[in-house]
Amino acid sequence: MIRKIADNITSPLGFTTADNYKAVCEGKSCLKIYEGKWKLPEPFVASLFQDNQIGDIFASEIHTDNIYTRFEKMVLLSATKAIQDSGIDASSERTIFILSTTKGNVSLLERNVRGVDDDRVLLGVMANVISRHFNNTNIPIVVSNACISGVCAQIVANRCLESGKYDNAVVIGADEQSPFIVSGFQSFRALSPEECRPFSKNRNGLNLGEAAATIIYQHCDNFIDGWQAVKGAIRNDANHISGPSRTGEGSYRALKYVMTDEVASDDIACVNVHGTATAYNDEMESIAISRAGLSDTPINGYKGYYGHTMGAAGVLESILSMRALDDGLILATRGFDEIGVTHPVNISNKIRHTDKKTFIKLLSGFGGCNAAMLFSKR
Amino acid sequence: MNMKKAVHKITITTTEVVVDGKPLDVTCLGSNIFTELYRKYVNDYPKYFKMDILCKLGFIATELLLQTEGKVRFEPCEDRAVVFFNRSSSLHADKSFESNICNRESFYPSPAMFVYTLPNIVTGEIAIRNKYYGETNFIVIEKRDEDVLENIIDGVFTDNMTTSVVTGWLEAESEEEFNAEIYIIEK
Amino acid sequence: MELKEELKGKIIDALNLEDIVVTDLEDDAPLFGEDGLGLDSIDALELIVLLEKNYGIKISDPKEGKNIFKSVNVMADYVEKNRKK
Repeated sequence: MIRKIADNITSPLGFTTADNYKAVCEGKSCLKIYEGKWKLPEPFVASLFQDNQIGDIFASEIHTDNIYTRFEKMVLLSATKAIQDSGIDASSERTIFILSTTKGNVSLLERNVRGVDDDRVLLGVMANVISRHFNNTNIPIVVSNACISGVCAQIVANRCLESGKYDNAVVIGADEQSPFIVSGFQSFRALSPEECRPFSKNRNGLNLGEAAATIIYQHCDNFIDGWQAVKGAIRNDANHISGPSRTGEGSYRALKYVMTDEVASDDIACVNVHGTATAYNDEMESIAISRAGLSDTPINGYKGYYGHTMGAAGVLESILSMRALDDGLILATRGFDEIGVTHPVNISNKIRHTDKKTFIKLLSGFGGCNAAMLFSKR
Repeated sequence: MNMKKAVHKITITTTEVVVDGKPLDVTCLGSNIFTELYRKYVNDYPKYFKMDILCKLGFIATELLLQTEGKVRFEPCEDRAVVFFNRSSSLHADKSFESNICNRESFYPSPAMFVYTLPNIVTGEIAIRNKYYGETNFIVIEKRDEDVLENIIDGVFTDNMTTSVVTGWLEAESEEEFNAEIYIIEK
Repeated sequence: MELKEELKGKIIDALNLEDIVVTDLEDDAPLFGEDGLGLDSIDALELIVLLEKNYGIKISDPKEGKNIFKSVNVMADYVEKNRKK
């Protein structure tokens, strides 16, 4: 059995899961418009840490002579808290580090950091710096599978634990925002000039965000209690490298796989969707949800609180969903107003109640990839 | 790598191409090899010319491998995964995009360039070409380690729909520095 | 007209249409859709960049692209009327 034994969300809404959960329950977000930031000609809406916030908090919480990049500090802040809470020996050869990130230290291409070698832009080198900080000597694994990396990393972690090679997997999903990422999404005309409106009639694009989130999974012979990642699946649309499939092919197949022989749609508390608020993504997800027989199942999305946190999304959004269901809640979809997808979905901008303890995390990404993960609590 | 179950193998370096132990006749060197191979063995997929070098390398390597496999092509399936590994991720494309955006006064970010700044795009290109609905993923590690590759690939087969994987090391740091060692591995 | 030839060259270049030369592109032929060159959504976005970079034309809504990029003729016409460079 594989169960979650600790977690952390480090985001502009807070540096602990508890603080993040509280902020989301209160409907807060740090989404705001940035004009002229990084000398970019077009303004953009994002959820970012305050200037120097990561540096300052890192300096006060983590005592080290090593020099780390801002991205690495985000990762370490999150991982340190989760590891402390878990009580595991992070240096053990029975512990594996698995990171999820799309661009890692890409900002080093624009600007060096004194004391940081250029090769830290390589994801594997960066990951090694992270795992070595905890004195772990295993080769850390980086999953870089676009925006679904956070669920993929959890799937890879579960497989590593099931194999018997490891007892604990530290899964860290993180991405920082940068001119690189913002420009890229601007080139796709994918960004909304306002706070995003997932699944809504007048939705007009996504917001960007940055965060680091950690889940520690442990292999145990007897299931005591807690959250279990039951089953995960990754499926491709085989359609287009940046546009979602018009039939929601990959999403549907991933949903179908995780539900088959595991759970009926009635038993699912909610599906936490990708819900980026682009015209195509939300429409595609509504099709996949409908095809999977989940039109009546409550769905929700968190991009209205955090923006799209890229490699962190799959981990952060899973943690938040687990935390909410601990309290019997389905969190509100901030930004949703009037339904604007062609297939019926059960979405709300209010907090809802449930006594079910099973949910699915759904994600999609560039490259036509999609991932679904079924979680259940005993 | 679980060599026992690797049914086909291709290696492409800057100077040679070897499929199932047989070297192919190539006259070009460096990344010109990709286009030479494309013209000779594919030549029906104009999207090839939009790809960056990581995608071209992965696409061509996989095409040659699949042609060698000799099964019926382009039939939709969900039982084949595509999972690649490397050390440099999409660094070459990243550097190109960084150059594209570094001048804020003459600022025209290119979506065609940006899309290739994710290493997994090559798995998407292969899935699209071959109608593979199965698992696609990309793993980055500091340096090639056969135990890590084997561990991850064994894990891929725990998806009970997956019966084969196109997988291996796919590195394209620049037009003159690349190598691919790609396998079809069966359950 | 020179502009049309210039546009054709820029389109081929911007969209990496390797096997196509300027003389292959007919003025009136559809650029998108099944009868066209098989261009996709990323190509449409690249054409928007092309217009801004070369002619100073900013297209605020990418959906307008459908009409502007119907053919080389339509594009050239649009550029003539709206160019700032």
